[in-house]
Amino acid sequence: MNSIEKQPSPLWTNATSEARLTGTWRSAMPHYQNLPSPCRGACPVGGRIAEWVRHIELGDYKAAWTTLVDNNPFPAIAGRICHHPCETACNRNALDETVGICSLERFVGDLALKEGWAYPKPKQERKETIAVVGGGPAGLSACYQLRRLGYQVSLYESQEQLGGLLRYGIPAYRLEKKILDGEIQRILDMGVDLHLNAEVGSAQALKELHAKHDAVYLATGASRSKNLPGLDYAQSWVMDSAEFLADTNAGKACDLGRDLVVIGGGSAAMDVARTARRLGRNVTVLALEPDDLLPAHEVEVIEAKEEAITFVTGAMMQSAETNGDGIVLKCIKVDFKPGEKRGQFTIDPIAGSEFELSAHGIIPSIGQDADLKRWQDLLDAAGPVVSTDGDWQTSTPGIFAGGDVASMDRFVTQAIGMGKEAAWGIARQVDAATAPARPEAEPLIPYEVINTSYHAKHRRLQAANRDVEARLQTFDEVQLPLALEEAVAEAKRCFSCGTCIYCDNCYLYCPDMAITKLERGYEVKNDYCKGCGLCVAECPTGSIHMEKEQKA
Amino acid sequence: MLDTITYEDQGQFFSGHVACAGCVEAVSLRVILNTVGEDAVAVVPPSCTAVICGGYPFSAVKIPVYHTTLESGAASATGVKRALVKKGKPDTTVLVLAGDGGTYDIGLQALSSAAERNEDILYICFDNEGYMNTGGQKSSSTPVNAVTGSTPAGKNTRKKNMLEILAAHRIPYVATASPSDLNDMAAKVKKAQGIKGTKVIIILIPCLPGWGVADNSAVAVARMAVDSGVFPLFEIEGGRKYTLTHKERTLPVKDYLGTQKRYRNLTEAQIKSIEADVDDDWLRLNEKARG
Amino acid sequence: MNAISNKMLLSGNHAVSWAVKLVQPDVAPVYPITPQTPILEKITEFEGRGEISTELVTPESEHSAMAACISASLTGARVFTATSSQGLLLMHELLHYASGARAPIVMFNVNRTPASPWGFWPDQLDSLSQRDTGWVQLYSESPQESLDSVIQAYRIAETVSLPTMISHDAFYVSHSLEVVDVPGEKMVRDFLPDYEPENMLDVASGKSFGAPIDQKTWNRSRREMAASFAEVEAQVNAAGADWGKLTGRSYGALEEYRSQDADVVIVTMGSMCGTARVAVDALRDQGLSVGLLKVRQFRPFPTESVCKALGHAKSVVVLDRNYSPGMGGILHQELKAALYGAAQGPKVHGLLAGVGGMNVPPEKIMSLVGQYKDAEPSVESQWVE
Repeated sequence: MNSIEKQPSPLWTNATSEARLTGTWRSAMPHYQNLPSPCRGACPVGGRIAEWVRHIELGDYKAAWTTLVDNNPFPAIAGRICHHPCETACNRNALDETVGICSLERFVGDLALKEGWAYPKPKQERKETIAVVGGGPAGLSACYQLRRLGYQVSLYESQEQLGGLLRYGIPAYRLEKKILDGEIQRILDMGVDLHLNAEVGSAQALKELHAKHDAVYLATGASRSKNLPGLDYAQSWVMDSAEFLADTNAGKACDLGRDLVVIGGGSAAMDVARTARRLGRNVTVLALEPDDLLPAHEVEVIEAKEEAITFVTGAMMQSAETNGDGIVLKCIKVDFKPGEKRGQFTIDPIAGSEFELSAHGIIPSIGQDADLKRWQDLLDAAGPVVSTDGDWQTSTPGIFAGGDVASMDRFVTQAIGMGKEAAWGIARQVDAATAPARPEAEPLIPYEVINTSYHAKHRRLQAANRDVEARLQTFDEVQLPLALEEAVAEAKRCFSCGTCIYCDNCYLYCPDMAITKLERGYEVKNDYCKGCGLCVAECPTGSIHMEKEQKA
Repeated sequence: MLDTITYEDQGQFFSGHVACAGCVEAVSLRVILNTVGEDAVAVVPPSCTAVICGGYPFSAVKIPVYHTTLESGAASATGVKRALVKKGKPDTTVLVLAGDGGTYDIGLQALSSAAERNEDILYICFDNEGYMNTGGQKSSSTPVNAVTGSTPAGKNTRKKNMLEILAAHRIPYVATASPSDLNDMAAKVKKAQGIKGTKVIIILIPCLPGWGVADNSAVAVARMAVDSGVFPLFEIEGGRKYTLTHKERTLPVKDYLGTQKRYRNLTEAQIKSIEADVDDDWLRLNEKARG
Repeated sequence: MNAISNKMLLSGNHAVSWAVKLVQPDVAPVYPITPQTPILEKITEFEGRGEISTELVTPESEHSAMAACISASLTGARVFTATSSQGLLLMHELLHYASGARAPIVMFNVNRTPASPWGFWPDQLDSLSQRDTGWVQLYSESPQESLDSVIQAYRIAETVSLPTMISHDAFYVSHSLEVVDVPGEKMVRDFLPDYEPENMLDVASGKSFGAPIDQKTWNRSRREMAASFAEVEAQVNAAGADWGKLTGRSYGALEEYRSQDADVVIVTMGSMCGTARVAVDALRDQGLSVGLLKVRQFRPFPTESVCKALGHAKSVVVLDRNYSPGMGGILHQELKAALYGAAQGPKVHGLLAGVGGMNVPPEKIMSLVGQYKDAEPSVESQWVE
């Protein structure tokens, strides 16, 4: 019938387009990367914030805690008192307002305590022993990290209880003692050889300790209050701030009169002032620094003002003398210029700006120095602190130092971070093969690579404070926690900068099906990717970037 | 993060096609084909889609594709559908994948006729606002003042309102969609697929060379079209019931216009006029949605 | 003869409708145009009474009707449509599309003058001007032949995979009544095998059709079309012969009426053949050696068979009811091309008889034969007064 040779019709298709390898079109190709988020870059403990916040968003709070405590054993504490540089660095600031990372950390920390989550035992117990001198945040952080690595730890604390400034400096209305105890106990439960009321107070004692252990970590803090020149500390109407706080935290009564002047503009001064208010006093804060340069957190100053504390800033006291049953402070305004390094400054009194303040008592709170004299035969100093290298090792090999004794960075979480770094430094020295490597600096994810259209639109949910009237009656915590729904909603605002959240945008937006979905993650198909960059443009976390290809 | 994209790739669209790098028509095609599934036949008039679906002997698409003439999208789809019905396969989806040229201009007649007969076809228009496949000439879908290959000084008439024309036919379902919201697109395709009768979905496709935007930006530009109200996302059911599926305008029209080379020479007066039109259309649309 | 048949008085158009009723195509997209409308209306009447289960589609234009025919055909459906003049011309683009797609569509065309100026008159220019579109073309001279040819066309078209159009003249055939033998359903069903194309739009096979192809493949597709066209005449003759066995009415690509030994042969198509038959008989009675060669199959032009049929003749008088501007009568032109190079070819006279629907009665034909049989032929077609 039909004499045409039976070949497949030339008009109907017989194969798919996959034979055409369009990968030859491209000049750049996407690469997946996990660069740190800016919050992580700013975090003193190097916390993988985007990761643990993501866990909260997904409702896996235990995973959030587990990730978080890799770097910080004190989330409930930090979530109350951290100076949260993460929130300043947060990319979300460019859109509306930072993610409330600090309150999210508190949420995780509080939940962990409520649920009784414990730290797992180390995978393997090592025979090496490390001595930690000082049970404050730096020392405890080091204990924790060393125990995680399996090292045996002996902790020496001069006071009756552990905690350092966390217990003796920070008032209960900022950090409840129950919380502090809970987070400390969790570390002790890992198995720590604890020595309380055990001061290691001299170079000799330190040397002997060193001889008994593979390494020593010195974290004795800075407890020598700086004294204001021209003020007679012997007077009954003068009380050093450290003493004032320690007494109050221990429940002792205060003998000072009704109207108090607190001299100083830092966090400690705020703690003093607000504590005094809770003791029924009228309080004026006198600070050298102008309003915008006060070393205290902005929020502490705001809360202090809410609590009817008067601020007199940019001024200094020249002299103080009794006047009847009170005191008169002769003051003058100053021109304050901050120096290069933290803690350095110059002041020029402004002629003709003299004024007076009247009070019944003065509490100077101008900072504390470390007592270096006791170590001077053994350890070099670098100005007001012990000298250390990049691994926190002192001039004596095997003795490391951190916290306020070794650094002018005086925030609690900075001390926690130092403790971790030193623990890793010690581990690298004792057994480099099994120790964590020193983290390398990596570029941070900028706002521009975040596609904000994929993120929740609502503004920040702020943790509320108790109202002022109520809070002045007690030492109960001022800051209220976020409820669960609020925490989850707030976590949703996080961009997860640099941390892939497996949303599949790259995979599904590819016009060429050139991205394969792996079990966890993605892979770009060399044969088909045309290098358009849609995946990068639509990534909500900035976890992909384009790299130019070198043509052979 | 907000909701993730939830449609699943079922392997209905193959790599190796020749769409421009970054083409969101290809992205949309991927969504549509994978949502419609394997029991379907596609009718494709000359358009970027025709080129993407592929030349002999390859096809980039798993379902059978019939390439027809530019005027005939809806008419050819009718033929396929009636043949399938006669063969006892009334539920096989017959898709038309057309461009704006083949829908607003030369294909309008056949589409209107098919709509009047309520033929059971799912008609998708990839609207890149011009004859992009032939190099970028104007179509009646090109907006006013846009520069194209055949309107170098800017088009001096408005974009035809195809949605209202279709609504007047009172077909069961008309909708707009955007490659910036793939969940919405997939949901509309799925919904349309389940309705008997003529369903038309018009998808805004920013064209990289045609509009003068960067390779990686087409989704963002589409998003701006939606967020500024220039391209509202909505449904019209039975020609009477209007539902907005994207209810807010959060971006000035000017910002959307500023992303594209085809609007590079707009005067202030022209921008104001465009804004006024968009505002007016938005108002009317909202009134219809309320009523 | 084993057919059950039914004699009815039918117009040419209604005869076509009855053919469609017997074939029961799967899909019939139709658009009305004078003088085709009775075909359409009768079919819709059948459909309305439930006598046929064809999917009837009434699109907004002939272009869309043909578009629907092609795609339905490629989906494996048997299709039918009908048109005339303007409608056929509007389909022109798609006529190429259909043949290129190898879609075995059967279309009926009523030959009518194409505008402008407007007219509704019998003239074959509409279909003849489509001779390059790759369709098989048959011309019918009577209602009976139209019915019979539509049915045979499905077998022919589906065997060679080429679209096929059958034409008859406006009013002379379309609207004139004659007694038509309408065959029985079963016979028609048995005559036509099921339509089962090798390639079609089918979810199971997933093959696609119609995207651009390269030059080599395009060239090859035309060679394949050429090979299929080479088969058509045999298929037309076979279908016509088989039909003859069943009904007593045989058909072929050509019909030689008293021409096998004639000195003068009239060559024409369509309704003119009926008139020419009368003229031939009258002239024979007068002692003239004259016959009629009816060209039923115009495309593919049956060159060999025509040469054989006319080889002996001394002169040929071609009657063209059409005029191709700048050239002349189309049958005249094609015939000369076919005869060119024949060792002893006849003298060929091309007469433009009946252009625009002008009446050409038997006496006129007889007079023309007398006038031209011994004359020297001119190259140009001659307008007939």
